[in-house]
Amino acid sequence: MGGASRFGWLVAGAGILLPSVVLAAGGAGGGMDGGDITHRMTALVLQLAVILCAAKLGGVLFERFLRLPDVLGELVAGMVVGPYGLGPLLGLFAPPEPGVFPISPELYGIATLASIVLLYMAGLETDLSMFLRYSVVGSCVGVGGVVVSFLVGDAAAVWFGLADGYGSPAALFLGTISTATSVGISARVLSRKNKIDSPEGVTVLSGAVVDDVLGIVVLAVVVGVSRVKLGGGSIAWGGIALVASKALGFWLFCSVVGMLSARRISKGLERLGSPQTMAAVSLGLALLLAGLAEKASLAMIIGAYIMGLSLSRVDAAHALRQHLVPVYNTFVGIFFAVMGMMVDLRAMKGVIVVGVLYSLAAMVAKVAGCGGPALLLRFNLRGALRVGVGMLPRGEVTLLVAGVGLSGGFIPAEIFGVAVMMTLLSTLVAPLIMMRIYDDRNGLSREGGDAGGGKTGLVSLELPNPDVADFLLGQVLRMFEAEECYVHQVTPRAPIHQVRKDEMTLTVQRQGNCVQLSCSAEDKEFARLIFLEALASVIKTFEGLREMDGEGTLRQRIVY
Amino acid sequence: MPPSEFSRVLTPGVVRTHMSATTKDEAIHELLDILEGAGFVSDRAAAERVVFERERVMSTGMECGIAIPHGKTDTVDRLVVAFGIKRDGLDFDCADGQPARIFIMTLSPASRSGPHIRFLAEVSRLLHDARVREQVLNATLSEDVVSALTGRS
Repeated sequence: MGGASRFGWLVAGAGILLPSVVLAAGGAGGGMDGGDITHRMTALVLQLAVILCAAKLGGVLFERFLRLPDVLGELVAGMVVGPYGLGPLLGLFAPPEPGVFPISPELYGIATLASIVLLYMAGLETDLSMFLRYSVVGSCVGVGGVVVSFLVGDAAAVWFGLADGYGSPAALFLGTISTATSVGISARVLSRKNKIDSPEGVTVLSGAVVDDVLGIVVLAVVVGVSRVKLGGGSIAWGGIALVASKALGFWLFCSVVGMLSARRISKGLERLGSPQTMAAVSLGLALLLAGLAEKASLAMIIGAYIMGLSLSRVDAAHALRQHLVPVYNTFVGIFFAVMGMMVDLRAMKGVIVVGVLYSLAAMVAKVAGCGGPALLLRFNLRGALRVGVGMLPRGEVTLLVAGVGLSGGFIPAEIFGVAVMMTLLSTLVAPLIMMRIYDDRNGLSREGGDAGGGKTGLVSLELPNPDVADFLLGQVLRMFEAEECYVHQVTPRAPIHQVRKDEMTLTVQRQGNCVQLSCSAEDKEFARLIFLEALASVIKTFEGLREMDGEGTLRQRIVY
Repeated sequence: MPPSEFSRVLTPGVVRTHMSATTKDEAIHELLDILEGAGFVSDRAAAERVVFERERVMSTGMECGIAIPHGKTDTVDRLVVAFGIKRDGLDFDCADGQPARIFIMTLSPASRSGPHIRFLAEVSRLLHDARVREQVLNATLSEDVVSALTGRS
């Protein structure tokens, strides 16, 4: 095993180093401006080779050795091999000139495509029914988080001298940047602590839905306002209201039309036959709406998100997601690495202190904004803190918003750096605090104490090896589907599945050799019987194989 | 499972309060007799094969004297249930080694999805309550069994 894993590192290392040798030898120097098209494309392909390998290597390093979310590793990998890092030294990028966009348009194009894939997937994964079920607490937590962190983010930008007015694009963007939550990271910590189905866990997951939708609406408004400001200088409050309502109008119009025609679109897609074709065409539709959104003076990612959100409730949503996961996994690494590449550490020298202060303010605002409504509605102080901290991690949406700001010329490089810094800090801090505060003590307030499934049941089985465990896990999920339960993977990156039917929510996952099922005490019997049936079916499958090989002739039956 | 669905499948007609079976195989045959008698099963032999095959792989004898032989087969066109009681109990190879006294047989279509395990889980959960179990075991009329189970769901 040691040899094999060493070989793996070697391959990844070669992927990073070889292209730069080739580029340097060819004298390309990453010079992106001139040159014939073949030359430019060669440079792009080699850059992508390095980015992909470095990002994935960084992700693995962070996850396996530092026990930190892999997205941070990808971000840092981008910083290291990018134009502000070792890129020019490796001959991969030209040394960046001040005031010039640090990466080539073609590489930025790939990153834009990645951002569309990312937000389309985020939309597709949005769990509207979960949100509707926990809509009251979830909405209040989400709205509280967005409002408080936007206001504090916007104000902090002015207090710390990062922007010159509450209505300036930089302040507005810093406000928007601090609203988004990346629930994937929280979901992973929650599942590790077996707390996804706890009242706090469910509230965080549903709050994040509201948070994402509102964050995108806020972005739409902010982009609109910033465009006007950059174009014509000042804008009156009445003008802001007009732009805001226009942006909101487009958002609402597209969402409503999207939701209403989702079934028809899905029927049309189904006629195309294979799920692979459906997934590809649906991505095409996401690109279409992204382009239309940009034409309507909104950001592209908004269109992509609306498309995903619209299709998230159709029957084919699961199949679409499943077939886009490989695309997503590839692009997500490129996206985070390219975002890391655009961080100009030297430009940030002057803003490091205020950057940290801003990050702290944004974090406190988020915990207070989400924890406040939680405290008022159902939770005690401990539970409210858990909800607040669960909403802390920032990720793709924060960086996407910052990316929109940077490429649109709304925010300067150092503000972009501050956004990345805040993403890094909150994503580093949140899991650490979560691991500590999510324990078995009750987080509900006395009045809300018996409002629903607080007690958690755990059914688990240890198997001889991870392969058998995976096999059983698959069987368990199929059993749930046969019972007309709705099964979905919480994040495309981790094998945590959520199973829902009516009032019931269960989580199924594999940890090492163990398959675990957590649920409320009430559903424990169902969980146990499903386990038994899945086990019986696995045993029968293996028996069948053994029987076939009764005379030891199975290997001779392979036709070749 | 909604209570209405629960009382649709669990009717006095499919409940036998005094089973005559003395062995596991006899118990399964007796429960299948109930289903066949009610006209639910179109192919008795096929239904039998499915249930016995499932028992062969792993016994459905649970604890607290409850056994839930079941199977998915297209010899039924919807979820059907037979409920039997054997006060003296019989050896059903239960998980806790105790004799089984309450039997719930469920068959549902193999080619359609729908609550199958969920139904069994619901009954089994109700019967985990010692009071409900006593009520069921002390019932002399099929109607009493039904009301003991549906009255609470």
